[in-house]
Amino acid sequence: MADKHGRSCERGGLIAAKRIAGAAQYISKGGFVKRRFMLLGMLIGFALAGMTPARSVKAQAAPRRIEVTAKRFAFDPGEITVKKGQPVVLVLHGKDAAHGLRFRELNVDVKVSAGGTSEVQFTPDKTGDFVGHCSVFCGSGHGGMMLTLHVVD
Amino acid sequence: MRRIPILATAIVSLGLGGCKADPPWKVETKTVTFAKHHVFVRNKDQRNPLPSNADTWVDGKEAFSHYCVSCHGMDGQNTGVPFADHISPPIPLLTSKEVQSYTDGQLKWILDNGVSPSGMPGSKGTLSDDELWSIVVYLRHLPPSGSQGVPDMYTH
Repeated sequence: MADKHGRSCERGGLIAAKRIAGAAQYISKGGFVKRRFMLLGMLIGFALAGMTPARSVKAQAAPRRIEVTAKRFAFDPGEITVKKGQPVVLVLHGKDAAHGLRFRELNVDVKVSAGGTSEVQFTPDKTGDFVGHCSVFCGSGHGGMMLTLHVVD
Repeated sequence: MRRIPILATAIVSLGLGGCKADPPWKVETKTVTFAKHHVFVRNKDQRNPLPSNADTWVDGKEAFSHYCVSCHGMDGQNTGVPFADHISPPIPLLTSKEVQSYTDGQLKWILDNGVSPSGMPGSKGTLSDDELWSIVVYLRHLPPSGSQGVPDMYTH
């Protein structure tokens, strides 16, 4: 049932369009009973259509873009504060060598080539301080290359 | 005046003789192994914060492959390492009892600080804590000897 309902939600827009087209046919025929069906149809159509935009508006909420530069042996900036539940796009620029940035606890890992740019989107779902490390071995200071992510309410 | 060349020869011979790297005697090995396990290598009680599972093992294998393989081979059993037997003390098999009888905390301590005066260097700063702990998991479940091939650096 849930699956069927889910699908009908996704097709809400299409169904609404069909209903409205159907309603237009009824209007042209001018029947009173048919008009009641038309109204019902439109109501259902709008109700279903109403669900679809609600979803797309949520998906369109622009995530916060944060630019980070990775260079032997530090990230710039070295600390970032983000909000719990707010989508984040980390844009990683590799300067001198291939680097990576991994937050084990957040299940986030992004790798970048020398001179390249990569990005990863995620939504932090818990508060706290998380330390991300370089995830591509880059030399003698690799182990100390880290970035602290503060996730606040 | 004749004494000077004799003296010089003696000093040079002594110097060269002293530099010769003989394999350590049994008593020497036993004593040093005991001392390392019970005195020098600290951090006996620290637990590995990472779960011992397949994901961590893969991380450990990856981290091991950057740095450790040049002396220990991909398998931790010296496969393909040309000088493994030629240095003193020789590089131990990481599957050996001598190594495996360390606690996880002690293995981490060795990875951090190295074992002086053997050739084992410390990796603190070169590898992150996360990577070092994942290597400890890899060390506990090393693949069969020879199964991982020869490190890249020795194949060219």
